Amino acid sequence: MSGSGIPAVPHDLPEVPLSSTDTRANRTGSWRHVRPVIAEKAAPCHKACLLHAPIPQVMTALARGDIPAAGASLLNHNPFPAITARVCPHPCQVGCNRGRYDEPINIRAVERFLGDALLHRKGAPPDVSTGRRVAVVGSGPAGLAAAFYLRARGHDVTIYEREAEPGGMLRDAIPAYRLPAEILDAEIEGLRRMGVVFRCGVEIGSDMPLADLLAAHDVVFAATGAHGERGLGAPGEEHLTRGLEFLRGVRRGEITSASGTVAVVGGGNVAIDVARTLVRLGARAVVLYRRTRKEMPAIEEEVEHAIADGVTFEFLTLPVVAERVDGHLRLTLVTMQLGEPDRSGRRRPVPVPGSEHSFECDGAIAAIGEVAETKFLPKEVLDEQGWARADKATGATAEGWLYLGGDLITGPATVSEAIAWGRRAALAIDRRLRGEPPAAPERLLPTVSIKGINLDYFRRAPRTVQPALPVETRRLTFEEEIGGIDLVQAMEEAARCFVCGTCTVCANCWAFCPDAAIELGAEDAIPRVTLDYCKGCGICVVECPRGIIALVDEAKVEVRA
Amino acid sequence: MNTGWGGMNTGWSELSREEYLHPGHVACQGCGAALAMRLVLKATGDRVMVVLPAACWTIIDGSFPTHALRVPLLHTAFETAAAAATGLRAGLDAVGAPPTTVMAWAGDGGTFDIGFQAISSAAERDEDMIYVCYDNEAYMNTGIQRSSATPWGAWTATTPAARPQDRPKKDIVGILAAHRIPYAATTTVAHPDDLVRKVTRALGVRGFRFLHLLAPCPPGWKVDSSLVIKAARLAVASGVFPLYEVEDGVRLTLNMSAPTVPVAEYLSLQGRFAHLTEEQAAHIQSMVDARWVDLEDWHLRTHGGPPIGIPSALDGHGRPGDVVPHG
Repeated sequence: MSGSGIPAVPHDLPEVPLSSTDTRANRTGSWRHVRPVIAEKAAPCHKACLLHAPIPQVMTALARGDIPAAGASLLNHNPFPAITARVCPHPCQVGCNRGRYDEPINIRAVERFLGDALLHRKGAPPDVSTGRRVAVVGSGPAGLAAAFYLRARGHDVTIYEREAEPGGMLRDAIPAYRLPAEILDAEIEGLRRMGVVFRCGVEIGSDMPLADLLAAHDVVFAATGAHGERGLGAPGEEHLTRGLEFLRGVRRGEITSASGTVAVVGGGNVAIDVARTLVRLGARAVVLYRRTRKEMPAIEEEVEHAIADGVTFEFLTLPVVAERVDGHLRLTLVTMQLGEPDRSGRRRPVPVPGSEHSFECDGAIAAIGEVAETKFLPKEVLDEQGWARADKATGATAEGWLYLGGDLITGPATVSEAIAWGRRAALAIDRRLRGEPPAAPERLLPTVSIKGINLDYFRRAPRTVQPALPVETRRLTFEEEIGGIDLVQAMEEAARCFVCGTCTVCANCWAFCPDAAIELGAEDAIPRVTLDYCKGCGICVVECPRGIIALVDEAKVEVRA
Repeated sequence: MNTGWGGMNTGWSELSREEYLHPGHVACQGCGAALAMRLVLKATGDRVMVVLPAACWTIIDGSFPTHALRVPLLHTAFETAAAAATGLRAGLDAVGAPPTTVMAWAGDGGTFDIGFQAISSAAERDEDMIYVCYDNEAYMNTGIQRSSATPWGAWTATTPAARPQDRPKKDIVGILAAHRIPYAATTTVAHPDDLVRKVTRALGVRGFRFLHLLAPCPPGWKVDSSLVIKAARLAVASGVFPLYEVEDGVRLTLNMSAPTVPVAEYLSLQGRFAHLTEEQAAHIQSMVDARWVDLEDWHLRTHGGPPIGIPSALDGHGRPGDVVPHG
């Protein structure tokens, strides 16, 4: 061999250089100065939802066609989706990130589908009974919601209702074209199936003192709403019907027609409900509101529908006198102008001097505002003005056994807000009955904006639209004006959802990692970064479609740790 | 597929959960070439031997005695990827080794330029191998010198902004197809579904199979490491790097419908094109348009109809992953 000039190969070395180990010995994570942090965030819809419903989770489940899972997610935060889908203004849709791409998800339509699908299915009695007894005073949305969550947790719940039938404003105020009675009846039937007891025709305070109620129950939750109606506060106010009284009369079939021109005074939801109801009864409705459309507290969409129905609006107008003249009604109106902002932040209307003019009509209805009746409550829970006071997070009061919620505390608000009160109070009461300390307030995660969404992963797709009665038909009938969508449409609409901030284990972060430094766990587990090898390139941050991964400076991570 | 209407998806079910590329390799942050190897090996599995000429990957694999793959890899000289792979194949056949695929894995320099004679010869002989050219469009490993895969007008260390090269990128798939090899295809690291399908298809064919795999290079392209996938996705969505496959050198299938994203959007993501004037960018657009017309013509001759990728996949420059069935 030495003759050829090629050195002899020692027996313990291979003839070619051969690797003996692999690169896992290199902890290339040490190159990194930024680190991907995978942490779920809140979707804007979830944050805006008055009930903070887990909308992305509901959509994810429904997109798979999994109605039970979607329903369970939704019912955990909203006991009556069939009701809220019909009456909630859906602020969730306003914030939808998809609205900045093509069109927002029709959350209401999906909620309606689920609510209707579950309507006759839900309502199983609880598996266990705690034997603790809770009285709920008032069967409006707050009371019903509290009953739902308390009963689901095994407590015995009795609802006391002043009227002959339960439902409160849901039954007596919201018109049938928005919320048919069958829907409310079915929800109440569901509560009965759960074992909730209804005692109607009993007014706490007059028929039975609150103290008697307490003697028979461990806790009382009162949510009696805001039924007191403010008058015009002007000469001749007795000539005006009250808005809630009118709506109740219509829903009970006591008022079946109206004619001529009827003035509706006010700009809230009751005023709009009254005006649209008047149109359906055959009258011409004119809404008189002392500020402008911008300041109207009514649900914007309802105002649009009212205009389409033929309701006319006179803004910056206030009646100051009402008098009967020759069988009809003459209102003296003052033109207003907007001045400095008041406590609500809206500009205060002030009369324009010398602007009085008369307005002839056949009737007038005042829907100026509703107030809570608090006479039945112990004075310990009232403030100096006589308003009821309760903790916003729990409904708890100075009287440990008494919880309050809904419009009774807030004054007239939305059905969803009342349901939220009922749910919060029920969870707090449940903890009290179990002897647990009050829960820490629910914290919302930071919100994902459209910038966090990788739009490359989403095809443009049109929004599903709910069927609706044509305007010329709907203004003649109390039939429900908006229809529902079917399962296929609901699944398609749910599949449009970006699922902002929630990991769907799409596995992009894993698939695109050049360093094989993302670990996929079990099926639904959120992937994890292998910090020993992650070089901090940031590909996973960009390729996450849902804005869940953020790059954080290593120095800051160390400080935090 | 990881798209689905609105982003509900299957979690890249076509990608094996098995890893054949070890972490700890020494590629730069966001390296497209490292990801390319990881994805291709997920499709081949472990019945493969890799032949590697001088390339970025020579370094990425780790310094002796470490090695980044769970499959064998033979380092060889710059011009010899196809020749060494031919020899390895012959050797495996001679000893009667169990079924093993020989995969030559070379960069654009080792394929378009320095290894060109060897690849042409091996293709002409229809040697039984898969040849993957991971293309980062310049000699990145030695400091970003221009190769014949560098696109028109791009900055490199040897074509500074003041002296750009007025030559288009070499049509390597066209050249290989002209050897009448059984299978040639393009794919990128941003399209794992397309990549897996093409590797799987190549595995099912005997003879010389060529994959042209676009693998963005953050330092060489002057693009942020986090935007590597975005860059590759835009290369396809803009038509700069169309996805297609050619069977037996004659039948061409476009795997996407007409590009909808302006080339300028792809160019503006990368510092290597920052010096281009609007007229120069327009010139690139016209070259891309003309090439698309050529490819579409070829597709029409093959199939008698236009490509039926789903245009909406390109909305918001999404993925063109909807692949036309072929054959």
